[in-house]
Formats: sequence, C-alpha cells, structure tokens
Amino acid sequence: MIDLSYFPLRILPRLKDHPAVRSLRRQPRIWRDTSDFSSIDYGDIILVDNRWFLVVGYMREGRFGIDEQPKQWVPKVNDLETGESNILKLVFHETYSIKFGDLTVTCYRNPEKEARVLELVRGNPAFMQGYSALDDADNLVRILDVVQGKRMDKYLQRLGESHEEYFRDHLVGVLQRFLVSVQAIAYLHGHGLKHGDIRRDHIFVDWDSGHFSWIDFDYDFYLPERPYAMDLFGLGNCLLYIVGRRNFRGQDVLEDPELGEKVFSSLRMEDMSLLARDRVFNLQKIYPYIPERLNDILMHFSVGTSVIYDTVDEFHDELADCIASL
Amino acid sequence: MDDWQRFLIAMDKSETSRRAVRYVGNMARGLATKHIHLLHVYPEPPPDFYIKGGQLDRYQMLKDERAGLFLQDASIILEGMGINGRDISQQICMAEGKTISQTVLDIRKEGEFGTVVTGKRGVSKAEEFLFGSISNALARHARDFTAWIVG
Repeated sequence: MIDLSYFPLRILPRLKDHPAVRSLRRQPRIWRDTSDFSSIDYGDIILVDNRWFLVVGYMREGRFGIDEQPKQWVPKVNDLETGESNILKLVFHETYSIKFGDLTVTCYRNPEKEARVLELVRGNPAFMQGYSALDDADNLVRILDVVQGKRMDKYLQRLGESHEEYFRDHLVGVLQRFLVSVQAIAYLHGHGLKHGDIRRDHIFVDWDSGHFSWIDFDYDFYLPERPYAMDLFGLGNCLLYIVGRRNFRGQDVLEDPELGEKVFSSLRMEDMSLLARDRVFNLQKIYPYIPERLNDILMHFSVGTSVIYDTVDEFHDELADCIASL
Repeated sequence: MDDWQRFLIAMDKSETSRRAVRYVGNMARGLATKHIHLLHVYPEPPPDFYIKGGQLDRYQMLKDERAGLFLQDASIILEGMGINGRDISQQICMAEGKTISQTVLDIRKEGEFGTVVTGKRGVSKAEEFLFGSISNALARHARDFTAWIVG
C-alpha cells in the first residue's frame, strides 16, 4: 500500500487519482535535486519552485531518419496543484560535434542560455513559453508550457495535394508566417542570443491561430567570429523545406519518376548546399515554376553563391521583399 | 577619414600576418611621421569553459603570453626594417561580447587609425560562412579608413 500521507494536502487529490501513481508498486520519490536525472522515473515527483511536478513521461527526439529516443532530462509532468501539463528541462551538459565535410562545429547544451531566451521572449507568441528556477542543488530547471500545435514539417504535408497546388494555394501564407519566425530570430540576435538548434521540426504551428512558434533553445555553438552562422544555416534549411515541402538529395531526384535522370544530370555542385553537399538548394531545377527571386535567396546557401548572408536581418529583408512580390 | 599614416595591424601568429607586418614596414619606413599599432584580439572562452572548471584570468594570461611572443617578433621585424621602436605599440585583448572583427573595428575607431592591415588566410566559402573571415569583414566595413589585405 502506498502511503501518501507525507505529501501536502493541496496536491493529494490529483496525486492519488493519477494513473501514474495508481500503477506504482512503490512510494513515489520526491526529487528536490535533479542532478541525477537518469534516476528520476515515471511516477516520481520533482519539487522545484514550490511546485510539485509528477513525471508522466519523457519527450522524445530523433534526428531525421533515426529512431526517436526518450530524453530523460526532459520529462513530461503534471503540476499536482493546478493540473497543468508542463515539460521540464533538467540540466544536461552535453557536448558534441557536427561535421560539414572536413569542417567541425562544436555544439553544447547551455541551460543558462535557454533560461535567458525564455526570459527575453516572455509573452512573445513566436516562441515557446516558460521560465526557469533553481532546484535544491542549484540546477537551472526550465519549466515549459506545452506548445499547443503541430510540427511545421508535418503540417506542410497536409497543405495541397501536389507540390504545384501547395505552391499556388498555400506557399505565400506559409512564407508570411515564416517571416515572423525569421524576425523573431533577428530579435534574439539583436539581444546577443541565439536559438541554437533551428530545424524544421523546431517550429510548431499553433492549432488555433496557425502562427509559428520556435521551440528548444538550449543548444549553443562556439563560433566567435560568426556567432549566428548556425542559426542562419538553419533558417536556410527551413526555407528550403518550406519552398520544396521536402528535401531532395541527388539520389532522391534520380529515383523520382517525375524527375529522374534528366533533372539529375542537370544538377551541378553549385546547386547543392554550401555545408551539406548532398542537399539540392537549386529548387528551380526541380520545380521550374519557382520564381527567380525566391530561388535566388535559396542559392545564397548553395556552393555556387558568391555572397553569403552576414546577418539574419539581411535574410529577412530579402525574404520580405520577395514575399511581397509573389 | 583618419590619418592613413597611423597603421593598425590586426595579427595572429600566422605567416600571412608576418607578411602583413613586413609589407607595412616597407611602406612606412620612408614616412617622416608614422605610428604602427600591433594588435591581437582573441575570442572569449567556449560555453563549457566554466563548467569544466576554467578560470578566465588563467585563460587570458595564457593567451596574453602567447600573443606577446609573436607581437614582440613583429616589433623586431619592424625595427629591423628601420622603424623606430617609439613608433610601434602593442595591444592584446579579448573580444568581449562581440566578434573579433568588431573589436578590431572599435579599436581602430578609438585610436583613429587610418589604415588597417591584416593577412588573408584564404578560406573556402563554407569556412567563411561558419567561421568568418576577419579580412573580409574589415574590407566590408572599411569606411573612414583604408583596409590593406595582405595575401
């Protein structure tokens, strides 16, 4: 029999009725220090900022094409007093390298940076919302609201049957919303902060309003002379996905019956991504109806570019002019 | 436009930096009045520096020591070319909260240097996108001064 008598009265009704607790065969543990996050389990309680969070699951994330793994440092929780669902991000100082051919960029998880971003963007719908608090061991726990929406890449798949229909009926609307997201990143940069992990699945589309929200700000890079380069690179990739509604590698072009050898043989090294050389950025070769001006913006991220964007502001301004002309 | 005979050489320990120093030495030695400021700017430590127990003063001390050696070398090169030691100064600093190129530009402005000189490493477009190019940044922002890029 589980003894819940040592919990405060105000959380008891939700605690004893929650399936995560009812299915337990042991006492729920209370974690005031989250340093050893891998030991925190389903049905445990994390006590931070005087809030009692019941762990009900874990967020999952995978790089594209890789099985999604549970992130034990990102538990899904229920606030036992209010019933609110939240996501906690616990301190996990991971470092890894991203390789672009023979170039390597070191990537860090930086909880302090994410906390600063959350504070800066409070109330701004272009960003996931939340705040941070210290646990008893001074770990910076981020307490996040659940974003009520769908991943942008999955959302785009439902717009229009063919690419041509998507392009004709939906693209401008999507680009207008993306432009707000780009402006939001420029706002971060203007305050000396970076997003750090700009990817197409890190934009969520709000269920009700359809506006775009950025999520996940805890990655950081060490690029002293071009601190925002990885954000710019991410924005270019997002735009590529938005315009093409998918990504094309050379092999994808070859295997696509509507494109095949004819389009594949027209591809040059200059058409490929500046940093990820297997990704086609010259989408005009795949969809000839893509306007020159829009394609030109994509081409600034290609091997063939003679001019690279220096700032997100430059990218934003060109994209804004382009959208106005569509 | 600031006085072109006030030279700022933004340098590191590379051979192209030494070439830039020799180039300035050749150009400046015949001038009646001149000043050559040798500058090395290094970046802030990486984000995980403090978590790993790093101490900023030790990081800076190490950087200062290393840069001091090649700046001293550069001074010797210039003096060997006939530049009086009184016309040479040195500065080492960390780019705090800004890029290296912006720090160089700020020091240029404060010191009213009319000529900024740097070596060119010759980076690929991909390298330039990720890691930047001091010489390109200086050339792009050259206003009220002249930029000499030595290859």
